[in-house]
Amino acid sequence: MKSSIQFSPKDMINASLVFFVVHSAQIGVGIHGFQRVVYQDAEKDAWISVLIAGLATHIVALCMIKTLEIYGTNDLYGIHQEVYGKWIGNFFNVIYILYCGIAFFSVLRNYIEVIQTWIFPGLATWFLSATLIIIIIYAFSGGLRVIVGVSFFSIMLALWIIPMLLFPLKYAYTEALYPMLEEDISAILKGAKSMAFTIIGFEIIQIIYPFVKDKENVKKNVHFSLLFTTVIYLIVMLVSLTYYSEGKLEKTIWATLTLFSFISFPFMERFEFVAICFWMLIILPNLCLYLWAAYRGAQRVIKISGTKFVWIFSLVVFIATMFIQSRTQINMINTQFGNIAFYIIFVYPIILLFIVMLKKKFTSKKEQSDEKV
Amino acid sequence: MKKFRIYFVLLFLVSILVGCTETNILDRVGLTTLVGYDVGTEERISTTAVVREINPEFQSNVEVITTENETSKGNRLKANRRLSKKITIGQMRVVLFGEEVAKGDLHFYIDSLLENPSVSNGLYLAVVEGDTSELLQHEYKNIDDIGQHIYRLMEQNIKNEHMISSTLHEIAHDYYMKGKDIAMPIIKREEEFVELTGVALFNGGKMVSALPVEDSFYLKIMRDSFKAGIFETILPKEDIPPALMKDTITEMPVAFDAIRSKRTLKLVDPATPEFDVQLKIKARLLEVHPNINTGDPKVIEGLESAVSKNLSKELTRIVAQSQSVQSDIFGFGDTYRSSVRNSELTKEKWHEMYKNMKINVKVKFEILRDGVFE
Amino acid sequence: MKFKLPFKKKQQQQPYKEMNAVKEKVELIAPSENDFTQLIKDTTNNPADLVIKSIPPNLTLIYINNLVNDQTLNEHIITNLQNNFFETPEAIWPILSIPEVNISSQLEETIASLLNGSVLIYVNGYSQVVLAPIPKRESRSLSTPENESQVIGAQVGFNESLSTNISLIRRYIISPNLCNEELKVGKRTHTSLSLLYMNGIASDQMVNTLRQRIQDVDVDSLLDSAVLLEMIDDNTLSPFPQMLLTERPDRFCDGLLNGKLGIIVEGSSLAIVCPIAFVEFFESREDQNLRWQVATFARLLRFTAIFLSVFLTPIYVGALTFHYEVIPQALLVPLSESRALVPFPPVFEALLLELIIELLREAGARLPTKIGQTIGIVGGIVIGTAAVQAGITSNILLIFVALSALASFTTPSYTMGNVIRLIRFPIILIAGFWGFYGIMLAFCFILIHLLRQSSLGAPYLSPYYPPRLKDMRDSIIKFPLPFVAKRASLTRPADQEKFDPEPVKPEKS
Repeated sequence: MKSSIQFSPKDMINASLVFFVVHSAQIGVGIHGFQRVVYQDAEKDAWISVLIAGLATHIVALCMIKTLEIYGTNDLYGIHQEVYGKWIGNFFNVIYILYCGIAFFSVLRNYIEVIQTWIFPGLATWFLSATLIIIIIYAFSGGLRVIVGVSFFSIMLALWIIPMLLFPLKYAYTEALYPMLEEDISAILKGAKSMAFTIIGFEIIQIIYPFVKDKENVKKNVHFSLLFTTVIYLIVMLVSLTYYSEGKLEKTIWATLTLFSFISFPFMERFEFVAICFWMLIILPNLCLYLWAAYRGAQRVIKISGTKFVWIFSLVVFIATMFIQSRTQINMINTQFGNIAFYIIFVYPIILLFIVMLKKKFTSKKEQSDEKV
Repeated sequence: MKKFRIYFVLLFLVSILVGCTETNILDRVGLTTLVGYDVGTEERISTTAVVREINPEFQSNVEVITTENETSKGNRLKANRRLSKKITIGQMRVVLFGEEVAKGDLHFYIDSLLENPSVSNGLYLAVVEGDTSELLQHEYKNIDDIGQHIYRLMEQNIKNEHMISSTLHEIAHDYYMKGKDIAMPIIKREEEFVELTGVALFNGGKMVSALPVEDSFYLKIMRDSFKAGIFETILPKEDIPPALMKDTITEMPVAFDAIRSKRTLKLVDPATPEFDVQLKIKARLLEVHPNINTGDPKVIEGLESAVSKNLSKELTRIVAQSQSVQSDIFGFGDTYRSSVRNSELTKEKWHEMYKNMKINVKVKFEILRDGVFE
Repeated sequence: MKFKLPFKKKQQQQPYKEMNAVKEKVELIAPSENDFTQLIKDTTNNPADLVIKSIPPNLTLIYINNLVNDQTLNEHIITNLQNNFFETPEAIWPILSIPEVNISSQLEETIASLLNGSVLIYVNGYSQVVLAPIPKRESRSLSTPENESQVIGAQVGFNESLSTNISLIRRYIISPNLCNEELKVGKRTHTSLSLLYMNGIASDQMVNTLRQRIQDVDVDSLLDSAVLLEMIDDNTLSPFPQMLLTERPDRFCDGLLNGKLGIIVEGSSLAIVCPIAFVEFFESREDQNLRWQVATFARLLRFTAIFLSVFLTPIYVGALTFHYEVIPQALLVPLSESRALVPFPPVFEALLLELIIELLREAGARLPTKIGQTIGIVGGIVIGTAAVQAGITSNILLIFVALSALASFTTPSYTMGNVIRLIRFPIILIAGFWGFYGIMLAFCFILIHLLRQSSLGAPYLSPYYPPRLKDMRDSIIKFPLPFVAKRASLTRPADQEKFDPEPVKPEKS
């Protein structure tokens, strides 16, 4: 295959690290307030929506890996070029690059919004985005190994937050979950669709796949990672549903952060202040991976050096963050992006697999007939 | 590549220099520890804030400032003009409502507290009998910092389960729940003391009635499962079983502590609605009339049933009182909602139903042990 | 995107060699006595301690007075030579009762030998000279390692003599596989250094890389191994050292036996061990001597200390400047009252106090030990108490700063301890600007920075990233002995097994 990529073993990563990459790419700013969005559709059965969304990620990931396996050592960009030819393939690639860019922007802007609302109302948007972008450029310029390292540490160093969810359980009323399945199935499915913005990120396997050393273990790790993510979302959702009453959840914008507000230690109160700042470590791999994914694509479409790309990309995002200022604009972008992401991440890979399989069948038949002739 | 690095460093330095932000240095802000709301003249809000300021003389003094304005934020601005230090509300611990405010509507106050990210969800809410400014402005002989004192008072009583918990989170939780109403402690100035005197019952955001502080134990075991705490009651003559009856006793005071209770609610008839309330209580006998031989199992058994009877009577009384003012502070409505499919419950609907609700209280009281001396 | 090593001068090596070749052709030893002595005088600039001594009838001894061992010279050379007559240089050879005698005809070699403490024995009329190396080995006696002391374990440290240090190591590792390569660095100083490793354990590739790096170093002079370390580090710009400096022979040997490579430089009491991971800087050799529970506790304590040392003061600054909400009510009054008199913002207060502590440390390090103790009293009592009473700092911050200074000294490696203390300053500053956000920014920056580093090509954050579960058994948490039978893969060891994990007393288990 002409567009497959060859790397030196130094750039390659172990399959076990894919677990961290996928998980860290999924958990980001969405977890701050996904409860409310899902709750608006599925009400107290929102946790079923989370489960369904989790299940959907497994199915989609299965399709993605299947497609990648057909092409061996190639990423999504290469597959596009193979399947559709150079021009149409590149058109799809550009769409995907734009998608990565918007995802990057959305994560960044949402995080800045949280910081500005909660901690530093006076701190300028441009300043926050500049500092974050600088950190990300520094990580990006270290190459894939560093980016994967950031993913790894972001998970390992953030694991201690999970037990913090035990604190709100003191005020949990399990009755809030009953009667189960009161909402009809369409509402629950709609809720699952609203999860799209929160649960995306695992599409990174389409890009990182060629860099994995032992490809036969990828599938296991990816699914394990998706399961882990789903479990975390499920726990957070269940805790939120029981901790908040119906009306309050609907009005709480960042339910997870408000959840932390109650936690206090003898040496510290108002845990959410720490959590919000600490969240920087959790969104860092998100941003790095999207930037890297966009770069991989840009490299395929036009020959561009990493340094040049990262500066152009950062500048565009930086300017964009300054234009989007109000909460309503951000919410609109989140909703629109969630919709787009739903089609790009949950619908398109299945179609792509279908096309790839058809093409494979067609070409192998052709080859057979060629041999006969 | 080298150039790249230099830009990088330059960018970072510029960011550091430019990105200064507003500071809230601890010893240079006035920390509001308590805020009280009253109804002022001409529909205005009268706010009394207890602000703690740090002086260079190692003495922190407490300022109590009352201001009037249309909004609570406006009051903050006004108070700021009277203080040497910027007022902050991040360390606010207690919010008090004057009786008049509570009888109006608390919806606005609850929402604006929730909206502000620097307000903790753990602050306590309470209703003041009379005006808050009167309570706060009084110069107490033994109380140094009234804000901290009220906070400690409430915290102590709530932690020891003597009073229902009323953190902002719980109040907001119940307020936005369809099948439950809020309840808050009532505090009052009693000469040189501040005292918890009762529990305010709300219908929606309006205070409609109050229970005396003696009933708060019943309220607590009826609302939820319960741990620790002390409970004392006087068993009237008719409740005391004849086996225990000694000639002259007409009433018998008993006291228990280390109480563990478990409440189970069951909806038996959705139409009326009718609930079965089952209470399992385990406790340690603390004080009893000296004529009673607590070593005798029969006597203990008799005492248990007497207390059970007494408890269920008291509980029914309290629920009846709350029913009469349509304030479901026990959360029967939520049990109704969770047991009836597609109930489409709203607060108004439930208040209508609550009036006619029937309950069957079953109390199972168990004395685990008594003290070290029989 | 890395800076190139400023010391890479591979291109320049070629002409240097050629120059040598030219010299070799020209500078042969003159066959006449006068010419020869003149030549020696010229090349060495006729130093005052150069001794030219004729022994009739035809011998001339040339040596540098301060470099040779007088006793050996008298007893084993002059006595033997005086009463004999020698026709050729070869005839002298068997007469001398010293272990090593060479014959050379090249001036370059002769001068080098002379400067290393040889006696030149010249037989008149020959273009060859006998070199009898009898250098005076003057060195400090072995003493306890001052900077890396430990309670349980050997109490001997390296001194400044290369040969003593190597003999120390050879006493620890009695094995023919202990390889010792001698290299010279420094165009003017010609400092000799030894590259040591265990053949069969150390990875050949790493040995080659390190040897190449040392050979590529082109400097005038090399006076200490710490300078060499900075030159052959992977990233010279990083404040974090990527190779360990140790003065403990047991730590050095432990490294060698785990497949690491070691460098000892003549004249330096610090040996270099590499490759090394970040966490290993916080491990002491003593941990190996302790039971695993105690060792684990000690290591956890140390890591907590480092965390506190770096982040405690910044968190104080951040909380007091911006996030007064996170301070619990019980702490609120003491904190604010202790700061009531302080006229500065917290960031300035903290920087001032940290600076005072650093000054005390620096002054203590520069002064002789006896006066150094006085500094402690001055710092502790006079400055500490007075500063609080004068209202320049709050006493709570004083505790924090003292605690973090104390914590930074628990780092077993002094060089790493310095870095820990250094990076605190920018973090305090940044916390004073943007509170917890700034602290987190700094934390992420340090994390990424550490991720980018490598030590001799091996990942710096190993065994945590890339995750190697087997190696984690002996990092922050030390597992019981049967679990740590394998060498860490950081060094890519040729032989992984360290010992048989089976217990020695199987009937018990």
